[in-house]
Amino acid sequence: MGHMSPTVPISPIASPASIPQTQATTILAFKFLGGVLVAGDRRATAGNTVVYDRADKVLEIDRFSIMAIAGVPATAWEMARVLEHSFQFFRRTQLQEMSVDGKVRALSKLLRDNFGFVLQGVGIVVPIFATYDAGSDPAARLYFYDAMGAQFEVTDYAATGSGSPAVRGILFYENNWGKKPLAKLNEEEAVTIALRALDTAAESDTATGGVDRGGKIFPIIKIVSAEGITTLPEKKIAAVFKRSVA
Amino acid sequence: MIEEPYRWVEAIANRGEYIETQLAAGSPIVALGYRDGILFLTLGKTRQKLFEIYDRIAMGAIGHPGDIERLRMAAIELASTEGFTRSAADVSLRRLAHYSLSPVLKTAFEQVYGAPYLARLLFAEIGANQENDLFLRLDYDGAIATNNATFAQTRQDFGALSGTRQSTELMEKYLAAEHAAGVTFERALKLSLDAWTVGHLALGDGGVKEIPAREKILAERKERLRGTGVEAAILERNDKRAIRYRPLSESEIRSGLGD
Repeated sequence: MGHMSPTVPISPIASPASIPQTQATTILAFKFLGGVLVAGDRRATAGNTVVYDRADKVLEIDRFSIMAIAGVPATAWEMARVLEHSFQFFRRTQLQEMSVDGKVRALSKLLRDNFGFVLQGVGIVVPIFATYDAGSDPAARLYFYDAMGAQFEVTDYAATGSGSPAVRGILFYENNWGKKPLAKLNEEEAVTIALRALDTAAESDTATGGVDRGGKIFPIIKIVSAEGITTLPEKKIAAVFKRSVA
Repeated sequence: MIEEPYRWVEAIANRGEYIETQLAAGSPIVALGYRDGILFLTLGKTRQKLFEIYDRIAMGAIGHPGDIERLRMAAIELASTEGFTRSAADVSLRRLAHYSLSPVLKTAFEQVYGAPYLARLLFAEIGANQENDLFLRLDYDGAIATNNATFAQTRQDFGALSGTRQSTELMEKYLAAEHAAGVTFERALKLSLDAWTVGHLALGDGGVKEIPAREKILAERKERLRGTGVEAAILERNDKRAIRYRPLSESEIRSGLGD
């Protein structure tokens, strides 16, 4: 695949490394009545090749935190592993949970440490982080990051990955002119919107899997709430899909 | 003078005696296997004595808080490093105790110019079923006891730890007679409290040497429960989550006891 040019363009999203990298897209998250819903399609691609159609991009870091990843899984999964272990190590040794600020910063630091590689054109990760804050103002919280590690707290919704423009369009529309704002949706309605948004992204973005009707592969959907993380069973997602999407 | 072999033996014996005296008042700790997990229980006034070491490993300790802390940190670091570099499935209590902690304790105990660890530890690791649970006691000199289990046959339903040998042995005798595998959580909770009471009654110079009558255990147990806090934690067996350790709240414990 040729040698790596030392002067690859400094445009992280578009910069193609000389090795085709496996990439994962698309992820979305929004706040609804039951907490924060995080969803991701299952496709991983390298260039125009589909590498894997059952990738898990919505990763549980601890009982209350989810990191969803768009970008290079090799880097992202390692980041998730580091986060998981550091949160647990802190909790076990200090006998208290790490603060939400501490957790959010920890991911920021990992992204920042990875930025050198991003500039060389490999290993870009653009994650979403959702967690439940049991502190003085208890609520499920949602953050997205850029590739340099800046974190942005979100009031309503976030989406990253190559299919995200379509997803953001849908979430913006629903939030402003839909039947109800996203924050007022119940679980069934929230899952419906998530599935429709991912399917819409897949319609124009080849790197997004959406819902694979033939192979019966559904997106992964998890919910963060005061009770911790709930992973929606595939049957439940399939039922909502049949009722409201298909 | 300590360089002479005889003096060294004498010094070791002296420090053994010293440590035993320091640990003699330690409140007993009981670990019991039951149908859905392993229960750790102790009574105490202030300090936390039950800890999570890794996903499937818990520890109870008596001794000097500073020494317990050093050993706890060492155990967590060893387990976490293994879990991170390989996988959580590669972390095992057997390896942690036999290959890492025991040699450290023994070295500290026998190097008479340095300070020994004033601590005694009780570990348990939850397995896929009760046959694979492991209970293990680690003493200040590095000695490992698995309730007379042989190397090949590690299966045990309980573990006990106390300030004195007499107390520990009496608790083990009591549990060997009273405990059966596969009991419910409520039964395990009551039994562990009874075993703790037996161990408590056996402490000190005037401590009982035989298992006391049922009424005496119940009376003492009631008395102790009134004035002291109960600390308990469980390792859950059939949990879908990787982390099996969960501390129980005081209200959870009291309602389980029907208090």
